[in-house]
Amino acid sequence: MKGINEKDIRIFVDAVSNFFFHATQEKVEIKTAYLLESDVPSSTYDLTSYITLSGSFTGRIYFSAPRTMLTHLLVAMGEQTRDNDRLLDAAGEIANTISGNARKHFGETMEISVPTAQATDPNWLKTVVSPHSYVILVKWKHYRASVVVDIQRADVPLAVPKAEN
Amino acid sequence: MDDKSSIFFKYRKIIFAVITFMIVDATVIGINFYNTYMADESAVSINLSGRQRMMSQRMTKALLTMDRALETGDEDGVKTSLKELTLTVRRFDRTLMGFRDGAMVTGGDDNPTYLTRVDTDEARQFVADAYVIWNPYMERLKPLLNSDRESFLDERFKQKLTDAPTLEEVKNKFKAEEAFTDTEFAKKLEYIKNDPDAFRAELKAAVDFALEKNPTHSEPQNNRAVLKLMNALTTDLEHVANKQAKKLRIILVVGILVALANFGYTVVISIGDLMRGDRELALARKETVEILSTVREGLFLLDKDKKIGTQFSESLPDILRRDIIPGADFLPHLEAIAPRNIYEAAVDYIELLLGDRVKEALVTSLNPLTNVPVLAADIRGNTQTRYLSFFFNRVVAEEKISHLLVTVQDVTDKVVLTQQVEQAKNQAKIEVETLLRLASSDFDSLKQFIDGVGESLAQINEKMSTPHDDSRERLHTLNYIMRIVHSVKGEAAALGIDVLEAYAHECEKEMVAMREEDSLSGDQMLRLAVLLEGFYQRHSSLAQIVSRLGNALGKAQTAGEWTAQKHPFADHITALAQRIAVDHGKQIEVSCQFERFFSLPKATTKELQDISIQLVRNALMHGIEAPNHRTMNNKPPTGALSLWCEYLGHGQYTFTVRDDGCGIVPERLREHFVKKNIMSPEEAATLSDHEIANHLFQPGISTSETADQDSGHGIGLDVVLEKVKDMGGYMLVKSRPNQFTEFSIQFSTVH
Repeated sequence: MKGINEKDIRIFVDAVSNFFFHATQEKVEIKTAYLLESDVPSSTYDLTSYITLSGSFTGRIYFSAPRTMLTHLLVAMGEQTRDNDRLLDAAGEIANTISGNARKHFGETMEISVPTAQATDPNWLKTVVSPHSYVILVKWKHYRASVVVDIQRADVPLAVPKAEN
Repeated sequence: MDDKSSIFFKYRKIIFAVITFMIVDATVIGINFYNTYMADESAVSINLSGRQRMMSQRMTKALLTMDRALETGDEDGVKTSLKELTLTVRRFDRTLMGFRDGAMVTGGDDNPTYLTRVDTDEARQFVADAYVIWNPYMERLKPLLNSDRESFLDERFKQKLTDAPTLEEVKNKFKAEEAFTDTEFAKKLEYIKNDPDAFRAELKAAVDFALEKNPTHSEPQNNRAVLKLMNALTTDLEHVANKQAKKLRIILVVGILVALANFGYTVVISIGDLMRGDRELALARKETVEILSTVREGLFLLDKDKKIGTQFSESLPDILRRDIIPGADFLPHLEAIAPRNIYEAAVDYIELLLGDRVKEALVTSLNPLTNVPVLAADIRGNTQTRYLSFFFNRVVAEEKISHLLVTVQDVTDKVVLTQQVEQAKNQAKIEVETLLRLASSDFDSLKQFIDGVGESLAQINEKMSTPHDDSRERLHTLNYIMRIVHSVKGEAAALGIDVLEAYAHECEKEMVAMREEDSLSGDQMLRLAVLLEGFYQRHSSLAQIVSRLGNALGKAQTAGEWTAQKHPFADHITALAQRIAVDHGKQIEVSCQFERFFSLPKATTKELQDISIQLVRNALMHGIEAPNHRTMNNKPPTGALSLWCEYLGHGQYTFTVRDDGCGIVPERLREHFVKKNIMSPEEAATLSDHEIANHLFQPGISTSETADQDSGHGIGLDVVLEKVKDMGGYMLVKSRPNQFTEFSIQFSTVH
């Protein structure tokens, strides 16, 4: 039992949606949502950022998007620099927005790490998240990205994430 | 109220300063008034003293004029002189007495006024010296006057008189004394004519005395001596008046200075107190604002008119999710968020608290506004239920209820947690019951079911993982999920796994509600994912239980060969049919022939089981009538339901479900579809009986009036049809009104 509900998950999706809306006046749209397991798409894209939660909830929230989408985002934001580091920064900023919303929703007792962003292989998420984590597939313009919610209440035993790299 | 909190103690310095100011002012005004009075008296004395000088000269002049007129025989001159002499002598005589003793005299305006006796030694000496001359002078003047009586014989004239009638009487008396009337003159003229020498001698004596040298005075004549004495008296009186005026000025200046100093003290004290009061007020206000901006509860005061106070905690609008204006009516806000019955009870409760007939402690338990469910929209516009608790405390001032202090708390988390605990308890109870039921069930059937549910959930998840671009795709997926969930629900019911059946039913209800909306959004896919996760959780728990059961029974965790000729599903489907019949007040007898199931592939058996469950539900809900209806239609009260599977040879099979219920009546279906707006009356009329019956196999079509666990969601025959199609088979439906309905599925195991 994860102990999280639809309202909790929406907080993270809304954070991503609000980020895009403030930056580009266009919200993202949920295309579908499912649970991550072996027979379904990993929905891992080129660059993935995440934050780690501890406190009343533990686990991670991931945001994964293709380079092209983040590049387009930087263009829409009027950024001149669009190299790899800047793309990772943009992914990190989105994770940071998720962090802000999480703190607001779950309270100040929640400890949230600084965002981490990295380039990821197509199946990377399947190798690091707990089974049946929520995958929310979103669309901005014609790009697809994913928000993966792998958290549970602290009193619920947490599946140990697999080692990274 | 203790002494230190009383208003007199608080403003004691200001009150002292004001009282002192008033005393000083009253004293100054009093002194001023007294001095003004004294100044009035001085003015009268000075005025009359000046008149004495004039009178002394006028009387001398009158004597001399009369002497001349007498010599020339001027009768009128004598008369005028006598009049003047009488007036001046009487007034002089009376006024001099006033200076000596104090008495009523004729004032400057010919009205009586009181002349006070002179005070100073010098003045009294001047008056005494004047009398030394005046007494003999008066003796000589008397024979010339209108009468020879003395003035001021009436003692009353020595008193100060003020009332108007008396003053008028005095005035008349004085006038009479001072007047030399024509009658008196005629008498005097006769006297002069009769004895001119005598009158001349009297006149001469007076004139001589007036002009005679006064031996005791430096002046050569008595007349001038009197003038000089009156002059000296006037000067002395003026000097006294000046001294009084000077004293008055000093007193006034000192008084005003004291009053000003006192005023300054009052102002300084007042400003000091005001500033201190302002500081204390500002500090108190700051503390109040800090409390109201920090406190998480909604806090406000409610007055007798049920209006919200001017100050309330910042969190109040957030908690109520409403814009609150200071001084606004509270009840409309409450009415907007609380259920009607609770609102009405709350209005009575608030009235009760604002009245003083009942004790607060006695009615606290009656508060209807605890854990009140309120509906509010979140930022996405979704309606959500929150729970609020309102607490009321009386605020008493001067032994009267002035306000109610209202505390509002958002207790949603607490209530939800309580509900979750309650739910968890129920869940645990259900799980234990499930465990007990499972322990008595056939293990292989259970294992097969659990594996099947796992596969079904995986299928759902796989379907959901495909991006859905529009509402139509989502609706398609929703229908797909609903069919699977419905099958799971049926199987769970057949096996008596309530926990899964109930959850599947709950999911079904939500999905039916989603399907009824105009379009399906991506947000609803998230809702489906959450429902799926709930399914996975329950499935996982059950899988663990079954696994442990398997271990306990020492069975292999794969389905084994059937050892009995009777297929176990026969018992499950019979139990399901009996349960539905009992729930809906019907009676049923089930006969099953499932022996052929043993020779069918496992997947086909599972499909047939799913189909059986749905068709049995249909038969019980829509076919078999209630016992009294059956009796009225000449049928036995217990309905008959038969399920059998036959082998037709060459890999061909037929599976049949038949009931002896009311049958499919096209006319009734037409009416129902029109009533439910599934089709127009015209369309219903044009369709053939066959086409009408075919509508039963479309998603979302149900002939039940209400939805419950067993029917009414419009999921059923479309599931059956899908499964038959998946099996590569086809279905025949036979029915006769009031007699029977038979679903016959033909399929092949050879492809």
